[in-house]
Amino acid sequence: MSLRLHNIRLPLAGFTLEIDATLDRPIAGIFGPSGAGKTSLLDLIAGLRRPVAGAVQLDDRVLFDAALSLHVPPRLRRIGYVPQDLALFPHLNVRANLVYGYRLPVTENDLFALEHVVEVMEIAQLLDRNVTTLSGGEQQRVAFARAILSAPRLLLLDEPMSSLDSRLKTRLIPFLQRIRDEFFIPLIYVTHDARELAALCDEVLVLENGRLVERGLPAEVLV
Amino acid sequence: MTAEAWQIVFFTIEVSAFSTLLILPLGIAVAWLIARRDWPGKAVVETLVMLPLFVPPVATGLVLLMLFGRHGPLGSVLQHGFGLEIVFTWRAVVLACAVMSFPLLVRTAQAAFQGVSSRFEDIARTLGASEWRVFGTISLPLAMRGIVAGAVLAFARAMGEFGATAVVAGMIPRKTMTISLSIYQNIQLGHDAAALPLLFVSIGVVFVTVLCGQIISMRNRPR
Amino acid sequence: MKLTSLLLSLLISTSISAAELAVHAAASLTDAMKEIAVAYEKESGDKLQFNFGASSMLARQIEEGAPADLFFSADEAKMDALEKKALLLPGTRRSLLSNSLVIVVAADATSVPKSAADLTKAEYKKLALAEPQTVPAGIYAREYLQKVGLWDAIKEKVVPTENVRAALAAVESGNVDAGIIYKTDSLISKKVKIAVEIPAAEGPKISYPVAVLKSSKEPERAKKFAEYLAGPKARAIFAKFGFIVTK
Repeated sequence: MSLRLHNIRLPLAGFTLEIDATLDRPIAGIFGPSGAGKTSLLDLIAGLRRPVAGAVQLDDRVLFDAALSLHVPPRLRRIGYVPQDLALFPHLNVRANLVYGYRLPVTENDLFALEHVVEVMEIAQLLDRNVTTLSGGEQQRVAFARAILSAPRLLLLDEPMSSLDSRLKTRLIPFLQRIRDEFFIPLIYVTHDARELAALCDEVLVLENGRLVERGLPAEVLV
Repeated sequence: MTAEAWQIVFFTIEVSAFSTLLILPLGIAVAWLIARRDWPGKAVVETLVMLPLFVPPVATGLVLLMLFGRHGPLGSVLQHGFGLEIVFTWRAVVLACAVMSFPLLVRTAQAAFQGVSSRFEDIARTLGASEWRVFGTISLPLAMRGIVAGAVLAFARAMGEFGATAVVAGMIPRKTMTISLSIYQNIQLGHDAAALPLLFVSIGVVFVTVLCGQIISMRNRPR
Repeated sequence: MKLTSLLLSLLISTSISAAELAVHAAASLTDAMKEIAVAYEKESGDKLQFNFGASSMLARQIEEGAPADLFFSADEAKMDALEKKALLLPGTRRSLLSNSLVIVVAADATSVPKSAADLTKAEYKKLALAEPQTVPAGIYAREYLQKVGLWDAIKEKVVPTENVRAALAAVESGNVDAGIIYKTDSLISKKVKIAVEIPAAEGPKISYPVAVLKSSKEPERAKKFAEYLAGPKARAIFAKFGFIVTK
């Protein structure tokens, strides 16, 4: 996959997010201090925010172009999103949450069949539970599964494990690797945890005050 | 309480319930538009919606009389086009109640929609939901408690409506006589004692209604 | 020297002796009383403060202690009620005027009743009357309709109003099909026309009494005004507006 962010400009509180970069690795990590604009970057990739200038292209499809006043709405982008607070719908049970964005599997593969995803994420026993009664780790896996079930071409994760302790994080990292290995969905992963970056990412982009200040392999970037 | 008094009580409850049901669709729509969207003229519309709360009720009644009277712009259309008479009929009572209680419904429902984290709606969009689906499956269910509280408030306000009703519907026995109008008439006649049962019933009904509304809205904690 | 002392004494006399009288009068008297007030204020130096409304409401307010010097009612019953409660200054009550009833329609109305009986027809859906249980104009109208046996047929069409002027306004606005008001009220409005005149002989006995209230703080001034109302100048003005002045 290739995500092209071309001369993006998005004014935020106190500074402007300015990015010009192409991401084409399976798992790209976005690293930076809080308030650097990481969430806003994910928002604009997903189509939830609209830059004032620039263009966004995913593979061969233009998702946004300021010059042409072109803005593809989020529901047509096929880009999944796991936000920081997971945003599991509190009024729906686990099964209803999972199938919210469910697209009936295209015949080529059963990869995205409900049973398969549920099995890979190990949440089969939780289907009839109310999401608010789940543990932290269970909620994570349900949030991952929900995003996967919409068969996205790209998955954005915003500090998905920030509220979990390190033991739980260690247990969950393999699930993210499964998303890459079993579902072949590229990930853009925002975090401020160096270990997560080192364990998962093929490449790290460092964001500071809305600007890309460094880019490279995890080992190079994280000192 | 005499049979006549019971007729007045049931009539008041009926028109209040009918007026509340009538304003629900528009009230919810306007509340959502104010809570979730920006559009030209929004401040003007917001002010217009709130006006009946601050303008003297009899003044509002006068405006309605001028609009819906037989020679008024809306009244003449309804009369000649549909054979519908508004002023001095039960329809005018419903109209007055609807206009006076509309701002209460909108204010409460608006707060309810604002209390729903927009993250839920954003994630629903990334999962492929159209705006109507987001509204129906996410925004509305999560705001439902607040909306119900708003409807209850609107009903209570309609039960107690007096000034606008007196002007546009008159105090016609058995046709437009509400609890408030009847109490007023009894005072004018010097029959204070006859007004007492109605007074207690009206306080009682409204007390129970507002109490329910309070209970419902207190359980509607923002998630 | 003479002129200035004359002016000075006039100034002193008017400022010392000027009183303000609160007069509660029936709504139907509004225009006539305002014109009388202009003449009386010039003549006497007193100021008149009016409160116009339905005699029933005014009587109720006086009973509850509203400050007033004179009460000019549209029927004897309201005055009787105050007299029973000993609120009137004895010896000041007198009946001054009478009136007659008319059926009116909007000036541009196409349906015009030729008699009271026509009001029972389907084309007259709404009839404005001052509140028929309490307000004199409404009571008179109801008594007349009861007398000619039409009340039961017509009462469902009645839209009760707070006072007779509100009934007039309702007919003017076109929101009702007809109304029954005093002849004097119909004469001041160009927006209504008289459809049927109910002769005074056939109609109910209408009588407007006036009295000074015991609670008046200016009883002598109030009595003086009541005398004026019975006098030739005031009677001429009442007659001009269409009231029937009693001997």
